[in-house]
Amino acid sequence: MKTESRWLKPENIFRLFGMGVFIYLFFGFMILPNLNTLTQIFSTKNAAGEADPFAVIRFFFAGNMGTYVLNSLKLGIGLIITVNVVGISVVLLTEYFDIKGAKILRMGYMTTLIYSGVALVTGYLFLYDNNGILTTALHNAYPQVDKNWFSGFNAVMFTMTFATTSNHMLFLRNAIRNIDFNTVEAARNLGARPMKVLWKVVFPTLIPTLFSLTVMTFITGLCAMSAPTLLGYDSINPEIVRLAGSSIADEAFPQARAALLSIILALFTIVLLTGLSAYERKGHYLSVSKTKAKLVKQKIHNPVANVLAHIYAYVLFVIYMTPVVMIILFSFQTYGAIRMKTLDISNWTLLNFFGKADYSYLTSRGTYRVREGAISGLFSNADTLGGIRISFILSATAAALACVIVVVAVNYIFKNKKKGVVLEYALLFPWLLPTILICYSYRTYFNSNDVWYVGNTNLYYMENVRLLIIIAYTVVKLPFSLRMIKAAYYAIDEELEDAARNLGASGLTTMMKIKLPIILPSVLAVFALNFNALFTEYDMGATFASSYGTTYAMVMQSMTQEEGLYGFNVNASGRRAASTVFVMIVSGLVLYLVYGVGARDLGERLALKEKRKQRRERVLRKLGWGRSP
Amino acid sequence: MIRLEDITVKFNEFTALDTINVQVNEGEFFTFLGPSGCGKTTTLRVIAGFIQPAAGRVYVRGEDITHVPIEERNIGIVFQSYALFPTMTVRDNIAFGLKIKKMKAGEIAQKVAEIARKVDLSDEQLGKAVSQLSGGQQQRVAIARALVTEPAIICMDEPLSNLDAKLRVQLRNELKSMQQNFGITTIYVTHDQEEALTLSDRIAVFNKGVIEQIGTPNEVYNHSSTEFVCNFIGDINKLEPALIAQINQVSPQLDPNQTHYIRLERVAVNRAEGEGAFCTKGFIKSREYYGMFIKYTIETDAQTIRAIVRNDGVRIYEQNQQVDITIKPEDIMSYPKGEGRP
Repeated sequence: MKTESRWLKPENIFRLFGMGVFIYLFFGFMILPNLNTLTQIFSTKNAAGEADPFAVIRFFFAGNMGTYVLNSLKLGIGLIITVNVVGISVVLLTEYFDIKGAKILRMGYMTTLIYSGVALVTGYLFLYDNNGILTTALHNAYPQVDKNWFSGFNAVMFTMTFATTSNHMLFLRNAIRNIDFNTVEAARNLGARPMKVLWKVVFPTLIPTLFSLTVMTFITGLCAMSAPTLLGYDSINPEIVRLAGSSIADEAFPQARAALLSIILALFTIVLLTGLSAYERKGHYLSVSKTKAKLVKQKIHNPVANVLAHIYAYVLFVIYMTPVVMIILFSFQTYGAIRMKTLDISNWTLLNFFGKADYSYLTSRGTYRVREGAISGLFSNADTLGGIRISFILSATAAALACVIVVVAVNYIFKNKKKGVVLEYALLFPWLLPTILICYSYRTYFNSNDVWYVGNTNLYYMENVRLLIIIAYTVVKLPFSLRMIKAAYYAIDEELEDAARNLGASGLTTMMKIKLPIILPSVLAVFALNFNALFTEYDMGATFASSYGTTYAMVMQSMTQEEGLYGFNVNASGRRAASTVFVMIVSGLVLYLVYGVGARDLGERLALKEKRKQRRERVLRKLGWGRSP
Repeated sequence: MIRLEDITVKFNEFTALDTINVQVNEGEFFTFLGPSGCGKTTTLRVIAGFIQPAAGRVYVRGEDITHVPIEERNIGIVFQSYALFPTMTVRDNIAFGLKIKKMKAGEIAQKVAEIARKVDLSDEQLGKAVSQLSGGQQQRVAIARALVTEPAIICMDEPLSNLDAKLRVQLRNELKSMQQNFGITTIYVTHDQEEALTLSDRIAVFNKGVIEQIGTPNEVYNHSSTEFVCNFIGDINKLEPALIAQINQVSPQLDPNQTHYIRLERVAVNRAEGEGAFCTKGFIKSREYYGMFIKYTIETDAQTIRAIVRNDGVRIYEQNQQVDITIKPEDIMSYPKGEGRP
């Protein structure tokens, strides 16, 4: 009787239910679909219809599949060098050295935080492709310049180098700001020159962060999708997507080859992340100072070096800012101006955002005429609006789901340190698998009526695919959410929980009224970062490749294909610029709300409220409506 | 009021508390004193219900509360970090326990206003975030939050340890007068002997999971029952065999097989202590100036001895100056060698 009542307690029922759901989700949506992909490789049938477990592997070595792997490796290794060079430079220039206009420079270097993926690549294309503004300008000035320079490996490297430094601006910047300035002063006091201090004192403390960033950069290069797809570079991920949509009639065992490439990608990721975790377990350099001194920016005393550093900083600034400024300006220009790459105030228009007219045709001399009734504006075009709507709903739902799952899980992990380890590793599991593998596995595994645990429903069929995308989005965001929210949980003083319990609060009340409000800014930040990443996400949407799940990034990507087609939808370039601006506004707004407003603590909020109240009273008094002080 | 009976707490193989027995009386200010890791906070957490003892019982007013859930014990706690909820205002922090008890809003407002007045928190401060308050004000909020639910007992876990020296002394006095005004039974945990001596009605001195002595501040200071207590409370001189031999020549009552101690203020410098006192000469080796007192290290032919002298502004001795040292044998505390207990 006693045992029964213990098990019937609501907390235990809730815990059992939670465990059941967790086991269902883990095996149903992480293990089985991926296992199915793995077995696909070895269950291929040859032309005679006989099972041949090693046919794909033989095909891999005989055909050109190795080229995709080598190309991806080349991109990953290349990016390690370029991203670290640019990333370390921008952080040092804005945080360590005393460079004039550092605040403005920092804003420029951080622009990649508000647009990434397809939005960023289309932005770069707008400038640098064979018809791009800068390429055209350069070609006009120097006719020997190859108009097609911006394609293939070089273009991908160039674009991804600047796109990927956002991680440096977030994490390396944080690491450098945490350096104890007393250590720098001590080294100077002991006779070290500034560069020696940088090399011998500052850099060693940054090595753990740099190591993590290097591994992450390599994985980013290896798993690159939007840049190679849009800029034409044969790497693993675009090939997986192509093979996934191919049929046996077209080529030999396409699905098994896609599976094999996915598994190769997964193996690389597992090896790298295992190395990273082993390195992280060794521990980091911890400041032993009792009182940390804030870093003071270092002046470059050598005038030549100082000038060169300033030139370098501003050249980088121009590279970062030009696409942003140009896209914003040209998003308000007519198609004629965009086509001719000339800014003209008389060509100012909101047509790219709200227009309901399209340009019907072009002549070989670049002339066009407006066709009334057709739709070309971002917010008037059904396809674009559909993409925005789909992406908004899918991203917001998945970002919220990932946060809810992780908050509940982290609460359990902190309460049950031993049992919680299993849950923690399970949530980190998707990190080992490339996004593309997870999506490809879902696409193939759930494209069937035989999966009993989803009620024998084909989840890849028609609208069902949206649910599948939400699950995939949620799953891939779990590891990041876990790391961030778990870090926030460490900030909760254990005595707060004891205090709440001592004052009579239940576990649920303590969670909702004490712990959640403390971690809420971090949870909101994670939600925002997840949302921003998913809202413009291309890789997963493209892997699912369903007309019922056409995301915003896919719509933007298709605009680059449509552009310049005679007869219809020729204003795709205008709408593309407007789309990129829209992405910047949405991402910027979300980041501002989370970091600018949401990060304020209660004290700041109350102080602001008080200030606003006083200001209001002052105005009322001036108007003669308020009370005298 | 509170009775701990044979309380034992184990963390895996480590015995944190070993058969603890304590009786705290109604309205008493009772302090658990000891070095870090001695088990004083663990005992407090057993009383509050955060830790279940492996053996033993906890009684409050005769009722066994060993297995009563934390929230039903009616024991208020002031935590070392104060554990104020950072996302709530001062008012919400204080009202939290009352809201949990589902009291009416009017009643909550009245109780909060009442306790705030008693702990000297203004209406303006009630509307602030806890992060906007000073350390001393935060401490008052923590006390108000613990007291507003009218607990039978209040437990305080090193509530002054995060404050600077001056504020500690100021708040120590406030704490004592508050406790007296409320008349509430208080259990106070500290490793600071001065705090324990000034605040407490009685003190339990902990060492390695056991209680070495329970007594009034005077008892534990002047009549330390174990060598550990004698060493832990106050500054002390351990007498060397050479000095013991010299003292025994004057008054043969110190057992050479025991260890002997004398507190610094019981060593008289250039002051006659009457008949039967041991007197020797020494030279000032060093001087530590504390303002109200001066601490001297004096080299005698038998051993180096330290003495603390009230600063009268006249008799201040210089380095290498010769002085007379006088020790009364009855001021010497003696303990069996190696046992740690008398």
